[in-house]
Amino acid sequence: MIRDITFGQYYPGKSLLHRMDPRMKLVLTFALIVFMFVCKSFASLAVIVLLTVIAVALSGVPLKVIFKSIKPILIILIFTALLNIFYTHGTVQNGDALWISFLNGKIEIWDKGVYTAVFTMVRIVALVVISSLLTYTTTPTMLTDALERLLSPLKIFHIKVHTLAMMMTLALRFIPTLIEEIERIMNAQKARGADLETGGIVERAKALVPIFIPLMVSSFRRAYELALAMTCRCYTGGEGRTRMKQMKMKGRDLVCLFVCLAFAAGIIVLNYFAKHETFSIFGMLFFKQVI
Amino acid sequence: MSHAIELQNVTYCYSEGTPSQVTALKDINLTIEQGELVGIIGHTGSGKSTLISHFNGLLKPTSGKVLIDGTDIRESKETLRQSRFKVGLCFQYPEYQLFEETVAKDIAFGPKNMKLDEDEIKRRVAVAASYVGLSDEMLEKSPFDLSGGEKRRAAIAGVMAMEPSVLVFDEPAAGLDPAGRKELIKLITDYRNKTGCTVVIVSHSMEDIAKIADRVIVVNDGMIAMNGTVDEVFSRCDELQSMGLDVPEITRIFSRLHALGFDVPENVYSVDKGTEIIRALIEGRRSV
Repeated sequence: MIRDITFGQYYPGKSLLHRMDPRMKLVLTFALIVFMFVCKSFASLAVIVLLTVIAVALSGVPLKVIFKSIKPILIILIFTALLNIFYTHGTVQNGDALWISFLNGKIEIWDKGVYTAVFTMVRIVALVVISSLLTYTTTPTMLTDALERLLSPLKIFHIKVHTLAMMMTLALRFIPTLIEEIERIMNAQKARGADLETGGIVERAKALVPIFIPLMVSSFRRAYELALAMTCRCYTGGEGRTRMKQMKMKGRDLVCLFVCLAFAAGIIVLNYFAKHETFSIFGMLFFKQVI
Repeated sequence: MSHAIELQNVTYCYSEGTPSQVTALKDINLTIEQGELVGIIGHTGSGKSTLISHFNGLLKPTSGKVLIDGTDIRESKETLRQSRFKVGLCFQYPEYQLFEETVAKDIAFGPKNMKLDEDEIKRRVAVAASYVGLSDEMLEKSPFDLSGGEKRRAAIAGVMAMEPSVLVFDEPAAGLDPAGRKELIKLITDYRNKTGCTVVIVSHSMEDIAKIADRVIVVNDGMIAMNGTVDEVFSRCDELQSMGLDVPEITRIFSRLHALGFDVPENVYSVDKGTEIIRALIEGRRSV
């Protein structure tokens, strides 16, 4: 059971997105997320959605896997949608925009509420899909490497970027090991009659003590051993350390950058020209189909 | 009298229903009698550890039944709980399970979980400590201040303190030096002689198994490949070797001597007995 928790969700592949420079991926993902919040109309949001769809198609990650990343946020999604529908009052167009009203106007649904609900939902889904696409196509090690490189300017503030990145890599590496360890210790204590399943919250918390103390002890032991092994291989920290896998920006990275820039420009233009008119036109088009 | 442990058609799959499904045990039928000392051998990944995790219900068989003293351990929550106390399981490197402030408290963890009263717990801690040779002074120490071998013995005492009717060891001597190994094996046989407890030992050391076991079970590829006395099992040298196992070194020496035409038996499994035979042989020659 405990083994089922997967951390990092790399989906192996050789697609364009997999081969892209992780630094570029990280920056572009970040930029895209920012632009999602810049979107003001359905038109500009559609641009983002289009880009997301293209990215998913390029990544070669099956839709089933993508949906798996949306599943955990379903509840949040429904919750935000409901809040927006019932609590956002107002209209985006002229004329009668109050759609439904009952209980003497205590509960009202306005068109703006429905728009916002759909808008936010699309936005959140796109956000989750884009960011999980990053983790689907990049291994955790590559990601920390990229992060280390991108944050390296912080060195001038005496922040040890390399050390932090190394800590992160090691932490990720040891998660499966620790899970195995927990399982082992749990079995050993269960064999001595430890009861982990029943009892109130206090008893359960107490029952964890025999698991966590040995876990801490062995984690420290492991840390010492690892430090020793690293020292034996002449690890002295980031200073003067070279890499086996050099990250190099290639033509494809620049192409992706320009495509994203074009899409970003599109969003800004649509935001500037379209404002509320498109909002309602696109909105109405959208709704005629939905409702 | 019912069997101490009985497995009926036990099959176990890891990650059942996923692409990574692995059948670790295939239709195992096995009985362990009261008071027996059984050795289980098998190469790494053969399913030994999975097998013994069924003895006290840590793993639930995918199909099949596990009976302790004739009762199905999955009959109710209570029988499952009782199975934990009836069958004491001592895992590989048990010292990593120590957690209490003092050794005495750690040994008391099992009995405490059995909801025994204070006096009984105290008695059991003292008895278990004497079995493994831990002094009163050591009992008051923090388990983390003990030496490797002492830690191991403290952890074993923690299982013994539950006074299980069956005691199962997974590689009890792993990582110990030869002296520590010898001492531990002696400790286990002494314990068994004193209490009459049923003992199951999983080991990679053919020597240890040959020396102390009444019966040897060979696990290979999730199935029981052999099940018999030390003589029966270790006489099938070739088969054992094809399973990535071996016979004790002393046995190989004697079968070679036998093949070379010396007047020695082939079935010698312990160094002590081997020494005796050689000595007799030498003295016999002298007297001629």
